[in-house]
Amino acid sequence: MQRRLIFKGLGASAVALPGLAACGTGGGGDVELSDEPVTIRMTWWGADTRAELTNQVIAAFQEEHPNITVKGEFKDWAGYWDALATTTAANDSPDVIQMDELYLSSYGDRGTLLDLADTSDFLDTSGFEAATLETGQIDGTQYAIPIGAGMLACVINADLFTQYGVELPDGITWTWDDYAAIAKQLSEKSGGAIHGTGLTGGTDAGSIRYWARLHGNELYGENGDVTLDPAVLAALWEYNLDLIESGAGESPAQSVESQSAGIEGGSLATGKIAMGFGYNTQITPLLAASGADLRLLQLPGNAEAAANFIKPSMYWVVSSQSEHPAEAATLLDFLVNHEAAADILGTERGIPANPAMREHVAADLDAGEQMAVDYIESAAAGPAVALTPPGGSGFDPMIQRYTQEVMFGERTPQEAAEAFIDELKTEIDAAA
Amino acid sequence: MTDTFAKATPATAPPASNPAPPRRARGGFRPVRSVVKHALLILCVLVMLYPVLWMVVSSLRPNDVIFRDPSLLLNDLETGNYAEGWNAFADPFSVYLVNSSIVVLGAILGNLVSCSMAAYAFARLEFTAKRWWFAIMLLTIMLPIHVIIVPQYVLFAQLGWVNTFLPLIVPKLLATDAFFVFLMVQFIRGVPIELDEAARIDGAGHPRIFAQIILPLMVPALATTAIFTFIWTWNDFFSQLIYLTDPDIYTVPLALRAFVDAQSGTNWGAALAMSVVSLVPIFLVFLFGQRFLLRGIATTGGK
Amino acid sequence: MSATSELRNLGKGGATAKRQNKTAFFFLLPWFLGLFVITIGPMLASLVLSFTDYNLLQPAEFNGLENFSRMLGDERLHQSLGVTFTYVLVSVPVQLGLALGLAIVLDRGVRGLAFYRSMFYLPSLLGASVAIAVLWRMVFGADGLFNDGLALFGIEGRGWISEPETALGTLITLNVWTFGSPMVIFLAGLRQIPRMYYEAASVDGASRWRQFVSVTLPLLTPIIFFNLVLQIIHAFQSFTQAFIVSGGTGGPADSTLFYTLYLYQRGFGNFDMGYASALAWLLLLIVGAFTAINFWASKYWVFYND
Repeated sequence: MQRRLIFKGLGASAVALPGLAACGTGGGGDVELSDEPVTIRMTWWGADTRAELTNQVIAAFQEEHPNITVKGEFKDWAGYWDALATTTAANDSPDVIQMDELYLSSYGDRGTLLDLADTSDFLDTSGFEAATLETGQIDGTQYAIPIGAGMLACVINADLFTQYGVELPDGITWTWDDYAAIAKQLSEKSGGAIHGTGLTGGTDAGSIRYWARLHGNELYGENGDVTLDPAVLAALWEYNLDLIESGAGESPAQSVESQSAGIEGGSLATGKIAMGFGYNTQITPLLAASGADLRLLQLPGNAEAAANFIKPSMYWVVSSQSEHPAEAATLLDFLVNHEAAADILGTERGIPANPAMREHVAADLDAGEQMAVDYIESAAAGPAVALTPPGGSGFDPMIQRYTQEVMFGERTPQEAAEAFIDELKTEIDAAA
Repeated sequence: MTDTFAKATPATAPPASNPAPPRRARGGFRPVRSVVKHALLILCVLVMLYPVLWMVVSSLRPNDVIFRDPSLLLNDLETGNYAEGWNAFADPFSVYLVNSSIVVLGAILGNLVSCSMAAYAFARLEFTAKRWWFAIMLLTIMLPIHVIIVPQYVLFAQLGWVNTFLPLIVPKLLATDAFFVFLMVQFIRGVPIELDEAARIDGAGHPRIFAQIILPLMVPALATTAIFTFIWTWNDFFSQLIYLTDPDIYTVPLALRAFVDAQSGTNWGAALAMSVVSLVPIFLVFLFGQRFLLRGIATTGGK
Repeated sequence: MSATSELRNLGKGGATAKRQNKTAFFFLLPWFLGLFVITIGPMLASLVLSFTDYNLLQPAEFNGLENFSRMLGDERLHQSLGVTFTYVLVSVPVQLGLALGLAIVLDRGVRGLAFYRSMFYLPSLLGASVAIAVLWRMVFGADGLFNDGLALFGIEGRGWISEPETALGTLITLNVWTFGSPMVIFLAGLRQIPRMYYEAASVDGASRWRQFVSVTLPLLTPIIFFNLVLQIIHAFQSFTQAFIVSGGTGGPADSTLFYTLYLYQRGFGNFDMGYASALAWLLLLIVGAFTAINFWASKYWVFYND
C-alpha cells in the first residue's frame, strides 16, 4: 500500500497528521511470490566500491529471477538515515534495507520491519549459527539477517616502532598498563615527533562495551536498560587523561581532529600515532591510506577476560511496508546464502556472517582482508552484546561530546559519567 | 542624507544617451596608489583562494599523500583520480552533471518568472492586506527544512512526484523562494517611479509596464537571481537527497557525498577530483553571468 | 518623498490609493498557488506536530505544551542558542562590512574588475561541498596552514578547529570567507543606481566623497537592508557548514552546536520530531522578531525611490 493517502486534502492535513506512519501490510501468512513482474527497491549506505559490487550482485540476481526487478539506491551514511526515516514516516520505504545495529531496534520495535519468520519459505537461515542469528532478533523475533561481522582491534604501525627503535608488543597477553608504557616509550623515543596512542575509547559504543566487560559490567542489560556503572566509565576517561598527561597520548585537540578526519585523514593513517583502535575490517582502507606496515593486535586485557565481542557490521531487513515481502526475502536469501553473490560481494560489507560463505570467500582475499579474517578467528570473543535499545541511536555523538568535555577539562570524569548515563537513560526512557 | 539627495535629484526624465560614467574616468591618475591597491587585492585573493587551490592540487595527488601535505607543490602527478571519480558509480559522472543542470535550469526559469511577478505586485501595486502577505512571505523562509520535509514528502508522494525532478522544480515555478521576491522588490523600488508614470501616460497597463519598463531595468537583479538560484540549487543537498531515489536521476551533490564512507573508507582523491569538476560549471556560469550584473540602469534605461 | 518604513509604505496607498486587487492577484497567482498548495500545509503540519510526541515511525500523540516546557530545562538548547547568537552577531556584520567595502572598491573602476570579482566569489561557490571539511582542517588544524603562518611570526598555534574555545571562530571565518554572495548583490545594487543622479550631482560640483555620501549610500540602503535581513535569517538557520565541518555532531563539546544542527539531531538522530518541530517554531519566533525589529528600524535609515 505504497504512497497511500495520508493527507485527504490540505485543509484536513492537521487532523490527519496522527496517521503519519500508520501501518504497512502487516505481514501475515499470505506471503507469496507474484506471477506478475515485480519491482522492489533496495537501499544501502556506502561509497563507490559498494555501489559497484551491489549493482553487480543485483544484475546476477535478476538473471536468476527474471520476474523481479531490483532498483538499488545508495546514499552516504548521514543522508541515508534521514532519507530512511522520512520515507518510512511517509509509508513509502524501500523494500530491502541495509540496517545498522544502532538503529535496528529503533525501527524494529516500532513495527516498521517485517518479521522474517513470515518469509521463511523464501529465506533460509539454517546456515547461520544460532548466536549470530540472535544478534538480529528483538525479543526473540527475527527482524534482521546479519551480513557481516566485525571486531574491535588494536591497530599498530610497525614502521613507526622500527623507526624509533621500540620493541613490538606481543599483542596477545598485554595489559592496559603495558599499553600505556609502550605508548609512552614511543612518544619519548620519537622526541615528540609522534605520539604513542590516540584515545583508547569513549568515541563509540564498541569501546565502551569492551571496557565495561573488562570490569564485569555491561553497557545495556538484556531488556535494554542502561546498566553501565559510572565508576567504570570514569575509569576509562581517567586512563586516557593519564595517557595524555604522561605524553603517551596525543592532545585532546589532536584526537578531535583525527576523529572528524575519518579513517583516511585520522592520526593512524597519517602516521601521527603508532597505536590506536578500530574495527578489524577497517584495516583495508587504513593500509591504503597510510602506505605503512599496519598490523592488528588483540585488545589489551582481552587474553584474560575474553571481553571482546563480534559485532554484526550490518544487517539486511525487509520493510513491513513492503508490498512484495516474498520477493524481498528471495533477494535476501540470494545475498546471504548464494556463492554467486558471495563471489561478487567478497568481504566488502565485512567478513560474511554465514560460515559457508565465509569459507567460500576465504580462498581469494587480499592482504588486508586476510588480516581481518585472521584476526576475527584468533580473537577470544565473549557472548554477544545486547542490542542498542530505541533511543540509543544517538549514542556515538553523545559519548563523544562527554569525552571531549572531560578531555578539555570542562568536567571531571566522575561528574561526566553520571551526567552521561543520566542523559542516555532519559533518551531511552523517552523512546520506550 | 535624504535631504541632500533630494536636492541632487532632478525631477525630469533621464537623458536619452549616457556618456561614460564620471567615476570611471578618474581611475588611472594615481599610479602608486593603484599599484598598492592591486597588490592588496591580489594578496586578498591569494589568501581567499588557498583552500580552493589546495583542493585542485590535491585532486591531482595519490590518495596516501593527500592528508599529509598541506602545501600547494605537486610532486607526483596523479591524474587517475579524475578517471576513477568520473566512472565511480554505475553512471558516468556526466549523468549527474546533466541531471543537476536540468534541475538548475528549471529552477532558474521558475524563479525568474514567478518571483519577478510577485515582486512587481509587492513593489508597485496596492492591494488588500499587502503588508500581511509580505510578512507571511518572509515567514515561509524562516522554518528549517528538516521539520517541513516529512509532511512535504507525504504531499509530493501523494501527487506521485517522488523520484522525479518535479518536487525540486515546481516549487520554484510557484515563487516559494521568497528570498528572491524580496530581492526584486528592493530593486524595483529603486527604479524611479517617474518611468512608470511616463509609460502610464502613454497608455500602458501594468502587464506592459512590468514587461517593458521594469524587467529591462532590473536585469542586474534578474542576473543575481539566476546566479544565486544556480549556485544554491547546484549545491542543495537535503531536498535532492530525499526526493531523488533512483541513482540514474541522482544529482551532483548526491554523487559527491556518496564518495564519503566514514566506516569503510573514502576515495578522497576521486572525491576531490569530482568536486573540482562540479565547480567548473558554476564558475563558468558566474564568469558569463556577471556581465549582466554590469548592465545597470545607465545602459538600458531611459528609452 | 521621505524615507518611510518598508511595511508602512507597503501598506499605505501611494499616489493612487485605489486598490488594484485584480491586477495584483494576477501577478501574485503563482505565489498564491505555491503558498496554499505547497508551503502552508507542511508548515501547519509542523506546527501541529510541535504539540505532539512524534518519533517519525509511529503515529504522533498530542502532549500539549510538554515540548515547550521541556525547552526551559534543556541545557543543550541553551548552549545552541548561545552559539547561534554569537555566530549571528559576529559573522553577519563582519561579512556584510567586508562585502560592502570590497564592492565599493571594485565598483570604482578597478582594472581587472571581472577577475577580482570572480576570485572573491569563488569560495561562495563551494557552498555545501564535502570538500569544505577537508579544506578547513587543512587550514585551521593543528598542523594546518594557519599555524604555519603564525610560526613565521614566532607565535605558537593551536588546534583551532578542534578546541572548544576556538572552533566557533573557525566557522565564523568560514562564513566570512564566503562574503562573495552579498558582495555580488551590492555590486548589482551599485549598478542599478541611475547615472543621472551622479551627473546632476557633478553639475552641482559635488566631490567624489560627497557623491558617495549623498547619492551612492542612500540609494544603496534598500540593498544594504535586504542583505542585512536575509543574512540574519540565513545565519540563524546556518546548518550545512557546521554539519560538514563537525561531522554532524556540533563538536568539540557542543561548541559549534548551531540551533538547526541541534534541531536536526533531535528530529532525525533521536527520532524526536515532535520536539524538533517545537524547536523550529521557537526559531521562527526568534527570527521573526529580529526581522520585525529590522523592518521597524529601517524607517530611520532606508531610502526608497517610490
